[in-house]
Amino acid sequence: MIWVSWRQHRSQAIACLALLAALAVYAILLGTSMRTAFSHDSLAACLARSPGTGCPAAVEAFSGKFGSEVNVAFWSVVLIVPGLIGVLVGAPLIARELEYGTWRLAWSQTVPRARWLTVKLALVTGGLVILGAAMTAVITWYRAPMDQLTGHLLHNIYDFEGLVLTAYILCAFGFAVLAGLLLRRSVPAMIAAFIPWLAIRLVVEFLFRPHFLAPLTVSRPACLRPPGCGEGIGIVPQATGRIGDLVLSINGNIVTYQPADRFWPFQFIEAGIFVALTAAALGATIWLLHRRAA
Amino acid sequence: MTDDMVGVAPALRADRLGRRYGRVWGLRDCTLEVPAGVIAGLVGPNGAGKTTLLEMIIGLLEPTEGQVSVFGQISRAQSAATLARVGYVAQDHPLYRDFSVADMFHLGRAMNPSWDQSLAQARTDALGIPLKRKVKHLSGGQRAQVSLTMALAKRAPLLVLDEPVSSLDPVARLEFMREVMAAAAGTGLTTIIASHVVSELERLCDWLIVLTGGHVQLAGPADDLISAHRLLTVPRATPDAELPGLPIHRTDSDRHSTVVVRTDPARPSAQVHPGWQADPVGFEQLIMAYLQRTPAAAATGNPAQAAEWPGPTSKAVTR
Repeated sequence: MIWVSWRQHRSQAIACLALLAALAVYAILLGTSMRTAFSHDSLAACLARSPGTGCPAAVEAFSGKFGSEVNVAFWSVVLIVPGLIGVLVGAPLIARELEYGTWRLAWSQTVPRARWLTVKLALVTGGLVILGAAMTAVITWYRAPMDQLTGHLLHNIYDFEGLVLTAYILCAFGFAVLAGLLLRRSVPAMIAAFIPWLAIRLVVEFLFRPHFLAPLTVSRPACLRPPGCGEGIGIVPQATGRIGDLVLSINGNIVTYQPADRFWPFQFIEAGIFVALTAAALGATIWLLHRRAA
Repeated sequence: MTDDMVGVAPALRADRLGRRYGRVWGLRDCTLEVPAGVIAGLVGPNGAGKTTLLEMIIGLLEPTEGQVSVFGQISRAQSAATLARVGYVAQDHPLYRDFSVADMFHLGRAMNPSWDQSLAQARTDALGIPLKRKVKHLSGGQRAQVSLTMALAKRAPLLVLDEPVSSLDPVARLEFMREVMAAAAGTGLTTIIASHVVSELERLCDWLIVLTGGHVQLAGPADDLISAHRLLTVPRATPDAELPGLPIHRTDSDRHSTVVVRTDPARPSAQVHPGWQADPVGFEQLIMAYLQRTPAAAATGNPAQAAEWPGPTSKAVTR
């Protein structure tokens, strides 16, 4: 079964490796020049001296040069990529067998179909975890200099680091496998899986994520950007004076924010949500396939 | 499964087998037996329940009621033991298009503990099918042969073929049937071959099952079934009741009717009126008579083995 799974998903694995390679090339080129610029401007020492403020000119120059590369427009489009990977791999897994009639071949060998599916799901899920982890590692590495200016909680950084990127891929994959069984055709299954995946993904990001843990509040510092307080760094919230804090709202003197050190708890919570959805979809698929016996 | 069980139990026994899809019965009340070692033809129009029956035999589908056993072992969907007992060639010979023939055999080896690789290679060598060729570059006939080879290399005691030749050209049909016959003759394999290409079955089958509307109409050894029927040519006015035996199908022309009747074994030389003509029935004629049988007649005629004469006034089939 391991060989069969590998043979059937070989071209997908190669396509994923090609995607990863392209990402790595992009990341190495951009990451190297970012690192060079970062050390040239002595930004590290400057940030260590006065976190959240100070050396504004160097910071502005750096983010002016590289901001667009790691910025909203590009990464807003890229946010659909984990979903696309998931549905492209997941939808044909069962639907292609049903579309081409090969299920009669696959499930009439001496391997009951529930085991056939379980082995395939385990191997493909494993492959996607490796892919997700590798993509995360590459992205995290090349963005590291910029992250020192911004922290990790901003949307377009948080979404591609830590655990969530892998979890997003798995969730789209799980939805697509289930949709493939229900709709019996690959392309409709891709669409039917992608739309709810995107909806959940955005709802979690914008409605749930800010409240995974109760936000903290702080009284607004007396001087914000007056002379002597130092110039704030462009994209870093100065309200709390710490790089990486994510300000949710400023109401009069009260600043509501999520502290930078909540990155990992938040990653675990959000990845947990998507992994649970994945498990539910895949569990339902195995159960349905076992139950309908046709 | 031990060898002596194979010897004792029938290759196939279905007992009041039925399968419902939603509210529609795909097959109902199917009772039949096929002895080991025969090539059984399963004939019926599209939608008669042939594929449903076959899928329950091989363990792809769970019966809604009744049961089916292969060499004495009840077939269960999702059971490895059931799957191991049957080699199966599905309709349209599904294979993975981007696999090579060697890949298909690798799959067979990976998914079947009793896989016979040397048999698979010997067969493709003999047929001149290159192992490295991709499935999508094979002809229809070659695909059918690769499918058959995979089913045979599984080394299962029962071979089930679902419409194996309906998509093939006449030459490929002939070659395919020849391979099936050779495989069966050499090994004592029991074969069930579902087809609506009746002419191809005549040379091949020594056992016949006719299935229409989800019910078994006729089942038994082909020769016995043929000798148990007569083709009568009678004056058109002759009522069915005067016919010697159970009329299966009647064709009326201007003055005469030709009727396929099942003779009564209790009265084998029953009164054939001197003016009537009585001929032996052909294989194809017999099958066509049962396929064209009106639903009402089919419902009163008990779907039984030829040996069990039900009589013209048998009880209606349980619905």
